[in-house]
Amino acid sequence: MSDNRNADSGETTTGHVWDDDLADYTNQPPRWWMIGLTASAIWVVVYFLMYPAIPIATSGTFTKGIGVPGTGQWTAVKEMEADMKDVDDVRGKFEKRLKDMAPAAILADKELSEYVSRSGKVLFSDNCAACHGQNGIGTTDKQGLFAPILNDDDWLYGGTIEQIFESIANGRQGMMMAHKTSLSAQEIDALASAVAQGNPTSTPLFTEKGCVACHGANGKGMQAMGSANLADKVWRFSGTPEGIKYTITHGVNDAGDKETRNAVMPNFSAAGKLSQSDIKKLAVYVFKFGGGKASDPAPAAN
Amino acid sequence: MSDHDHIYSTKLQDKIERNTLLMFILTALTVAVGGIVEIVPLFYLPNTAMSGGDGTYNNTQHKDLQGNAIPMDKIIWNPATSQHKTLAEWQPGDGVRPYTALETAGRYVFIREGCFLCHSQMIRPFRDEKDRYGHYSIAEESMYDHTYQWGSKRTGPDLARVGGKYSDEWHRRHLKYPREVVPESVMPNYFFLDKAAVNAEQTVKTMQVMTRMPFNPVPKSIYSDAYIAGAKAQVDGKTEMDAVIAYLQSMGNHVKFQEGVNYRD
Amino acid sequence: MEATQATPVKYDMDVVRWFTIAAIVYAVVGTLIGVYVASELAWPFLNFDIPEITFGRLRPLHTNAVIFAFGGCTLMATGFYIVQRTCSTKLWSNSLAWFTFVGWNLIIVCAVITLPLGLSQGKEYAELPWWVDIMIAVVWLSYGLNYFMTIGIRKTSHIYVSNFFTAGMIVMITYLHVVNSMAIPVDWATSYSIYSGVQDAMIQWWWGHNAVGFYLTGGFLGIMYYFIPKQSGRPVFSYRLSVLHFWTLTFGYVWLGAHHLQYTALPDWTGSLGAAVSLAMIIPSWGGAMNGMMTLSGAWDKLRTDYILRFLVTAMAFYAMSTFDGPVMAIKSVNALSHYTDWTVGHVHAGALGWMSMISFGALYHMVKKLWNTEMYSDKLVNVHFWVALIGATTYVVAMWVSGIMQGLMWRDYDEYGTLTYTFVESVSAMHPYYVMRAVGGAIFNLGAWIMLFNVVMTVRQAGAVRGTSPVAARA
Ligand code: HEC
Ligand code: HEC
Ligand code: HEC
Ligand code: HEM
Ligand code: HEM
Ligand SMILES: [Ca+2]
Ligand SMILES: [Ca+2]
Ligand SMILES: [Cu+2]
Repeated sequence: MSDNRNADSGETTTGHVWDDDLADYTNQPPRWWMIGLTASAIWVVVYFLMYPAIPIATSGTFTKGIGVPGTGQWTAVKEMEADMKDVDDVRGKFEKRLKDMAPAAILADKELSEYVSRSGKVLFSDNCAACHGQNGIGTTDKQGLFAPILNDDDWLYGGTIEQIFESIANGRQGMMMAHKTSLSAQEIDALASAVAQGNPTSTPLFTEKGCVACHGANGKGMQAMGSANLADKVWRFSGTPEGIKYTITHGVNDAGDKETRNAVMPNFSAAGKLSQSDIKKLAVYVFKFGGGKASDPAPAAN
Repeated sequence: MSDHDHIYSTKLQDKIERNTLLMFILTALTVAVGGIVEIVPLFYLPNTAMSGGDGTYNNTQHKDLQGNAIPMDKIIWNPATSQHKTLAEWQPGDGVRPYTALETAGRYVFIREGCFLCHSQMIRPFRDEKDRYGHYSIAEESMYDHTYQWGSKRTGPDLARVGGKYSDEWHRRHLKYPREVVPESVMPNYFFLDKAAVNAEQTVKTMQVMTRMPFNPVPKSIYSDAYIAGAKAQVDGKTEMDAVIAYLQSMGNHVKFQEGVNYRD
Repeated sequence: MEATQATPVKYDMDVVRWFTIAAIVYAVVGTLIGVYVASELAWPFLNFDIPEITFGRLRPLHTNAVIFAFGGCTLMATGFYIVQRTCSTKLWSNSLAWFTFVGWNLIIVCAVITLPLGLSQGKEYAELPWWVDIMIAVVWLSYGLNYFMTIGIRKTSHIYVSNFFTAGMIVMITYLHVVNSMAIPVDWATSYSIYSGVQDAMIQWWWGHNAVGFYLTGGFLGIMYYFIPKQSGRPVFSYRLSVLHFWTLTFGYVWLGAHHLQYTALPDWTGSLGAAVSLAMIIPSWGGAMNGMMTLSGAWDKLRTDYILRFLVTAMAFYAMSTFDGPVMAIKSVNALSHYTDWTVGHVHAGALGWMSMISFGALYHMVKKLWNTEMYSDKLVNVHFWVALIGATTYVVAMWVSGIMQGLMWRDYDEYGTLTYTFVESVSAMHPYYVMRAVGGAIFNLGAWIMLFNVVMTVRQAGAVRGTSPVAARA
């Protein structure tokens, strides 16, 4: 029975039959295939020699492979360095100069300042936009504005480029304690309605209860500590009487109050991801959103 | 049956085809080779077999730009030689350290929720990944990661250096309702983490298990009896949200990398 | 020896019937979950704020359902079928086979419960908790033992090539599962791998790749070598090619795991080993694909009428395609782009939908007819299933190739200032149309599985009616 199959095609089978009619022909694999198989084996050996492929350590390091002729011994890190050169050819001349310059000097340099504002999109968007929104327009959710708007003229810590740099490089964490125990409900109501009208000093409580210590005698805030200006009707968190009441009741970044408003700007030097150059570029980039303020005369309080 | 005994392959092959045991043995040997070559050396070679922060590093060496060896305790934190002696004192840049109690609990949540199916934790040495995520990852950085979490898909961004990039509060809001913070996001809402308390007992047991690992265990000098005894207090009253945020914030700033140094040689 | 056909053997086919039905049911369920997770990425509201069905927990259920439930039951159905028929003997132990059936399905039930609960070991395709790992080991060994012992008591002189592939799979999966699952439990739900970092990564992808290479490929090549010649009624094109295909694949595939870890923190030599051998795998793989296709040479006309054969042949085409796509992705410079992107997912499903599912559907249809000793309830529906599956698979794969390459290019694009052009979030929103397209393609593919289930149920009912009360045909 086994050889009957030949009738089908004139070819022979191996003579073995399984399950009634399973058989295999004695055809040779095609020539191209045998050649391909040999070539594959040679390829593997050549590749093993060219690239680092042999897991034996020689004096603390690994055999590197003999390398592709003309290109040296390949390693992943070398490949990255070579790739870096391509982009460095474009941005290197800017980056080199800006490395040792102060943010203000970069801003003043027309070419560099142009470079930063044209190229900073991903740097800002991948790192900052999650909190400050695309182009610094701010992000809001159920709980209000998450982080300060960066493209307006209102600055908690001042809008000079040095102050902006400082905010990014070292982070910020404004502090206002919760007043839920130190103030009565009526007092909070009174303060909130005064603040909501943009006229905090209209109630004596503002001075009596110590708000002036941080927000200044005129309620215009103190940039040294990032206390908000309460007289400009520009709101860091919320301008509704309820929102203001909430801020006064629970404070800002008050570790003792579970419901406190949170306002932490990460310290990007410590996070270690961004280089000092990146941070300088970001300061310039943010400054140029339009809200930046001239550096002198240095504004202290108010 | 003229052709019947003719062999169309080789004698050996013919023998194998007639002998079940031989087939079993030869198959079992053939499939073992590749795996042995690729896996076994990783347990012995320098740069991959580093053991622990108790000074038992296996010759691992990186060279600075002058060609001097960077001391291993600059890469892997060793409380014996570091000025910071306990996990609580450890500072970014002190070197790779194991997780604190709260971070350990957070890592459990990370694995349970399958975050690794969307987020990698492995930055490759490419210029674009350096620009986007920071310095490329090195072997030492995941040496304490029993059940490594490198991932194989980036539906979301790499998280290897996400620590310190955002505030805890941002993470809390983002994890709860990602689309409220990032409208384009496709990440699920993890609001339920805020309602679940950390399982303190499990966390403590996990830390004990980590000291008993046959490969790269956490040294007893770091997870000391005293530290483990205090672990419960560290996680008491914390939610799973607090824990996973602590874990996220711990990632990526252990080693202080120098520009231009090859950490992968 | 080859005279066995003279005295008909009574095979143990009841367990095969059950595995067959289970495989078809799991094909429906597994791809349905696939459609759901695909939809979650397209429309995230579908997570519905229910922890158990969030993407991170449901995705492992999808992969486990298609690989272990659908794939596993297909492998066991065909394995027990092929080994009996090519050895001309009953199973070594019918009761052990039933143990395998019950055990395997119990494991699947455990997966369905534990994965949505978030019990995960955190390793892809090996998520199941430690005690389920132990169950898997026991049940797998019961399958392996029965398989090898049945070969051992065979009535034929030579071992048929299908059995080589299945035997290779059984041995390799045993190694992989045991080594990769080594973990220390914390409690009944949680455990952590005894390996860490680079070693754990290498072991995971040694497992991950070879689960693909020996289970989703080797095991299914065993299916191919039996069902293509059977369904077409022609001998295998080349015995020598079968032998070379088997040994080169068996020796070579094991090295590929490292191609999943190129440029990671592993030393460069590991990636190189994986890349070099991956490229060398094109030829052996294509040898197998060709062996299948050439078996049909001279019988191409059968394709016009034999819808089952269409599945089998299309599977070989997808096998050839995905074993080209894979090696290309293993090239360092390509992997730099494709890794972490949807390209990988496209490649996976070219293999999973085009190759592994198609060959399974073909084999399962063939078996249903033989096992119930009847014709299909509707041949037309087989044809409809074929076209639906082909359209669904193609839509899926094309969508993911495009989105994957786009993702890779967007991530690495530099503008004229030498800085990155796109933010990460821009790449996320650019994927949306492709995620929709994939969900649609997947839904079409899933529809095909429903059609198959319906057709098979009707076929079995019709067979039951014809045969009256006697459930087992003399010669299954
Ligand atoms: C985790 C969220 C978050 C991230 C990420 C973040 N910020 Fe901030 N940022 C804040 C918060 C909150 C404040 C307000 C701090 C306060 O009130 O004390 C702030 C304040 C600032 C300020 C001071 C604003 C003022 O009114 O004086 C600047 C400038 C700033 N951020 C720039 C940036 C830049 C540039 C980046 C990216 C590198 C960035 N931020 C990333 C949350 C964030
Ligand atoms: C310890 C210093 C401190 C004291 C005392 C203090 N504040 Fe504040 N306050 C701050 C800081 C800092 C902020 C800005 C928080 C931020 O954005 O990070 C702030 C913000 C506010 C805001 C939110 C403004 C907006 O734009 O949304 C209101 C309203 C406010 N304070 C009212 C008061 C009142 C009323 C009192 C007195 C009962 C008071 N504060 C006492 C430091 C203080
Ligand atoms: C369905 C896929 C998916 C899952 C599952 C997922 N994420 Fe995300 N994740 C994303 C996407 C997409 C983004 C980018 C958009 C955004 O910021 O939300 C993201 C962003 C993030 C970010 C911000 C990273 C950065 O640098 O901007 C963090 C942190 C994060 N995810 C943590 C987690 C954690 C923790 C889990 C598990 C509990 C998780 N993710 C699960 C898809 C996912
Ligand atoms: C209707 C058909 C299917 C659909 C819609 C589908 C959908 C999906 C989706 C959405 C993912 C997640 C991808 C991601 O994370 O981005 C996935 C992953 C996966 N699916 Fe499917 N799937 C289908 C069928 C199958 C089948 C039949 C198999 C058979 C083995 C399979 C195997 C896998 C594997 C192995 C992965 C993991 C891929 C990876 O990690 O790269 N799928 N599938
Ligand atoms: C010679 C044949 C093949 C080679 C060389 C190969 C190569 C590859 C490569 C390079 C990757 C991507 C790794 C990464 O970048 O993360 C990959 C992923 C994958 N391949 Fe293949 N492939 C082959 C055949 C197949 C076949 C036939 C299937 C399916 C049945 C398959 C299933 C998979 C799966 C499931 C993954 C995803 C792994 C993950 O979760 O990341 N492969 N393959
Ligand atoms: Ca204001
Ligand atoms: Ca994957
Ligand atoms: Cu692979």
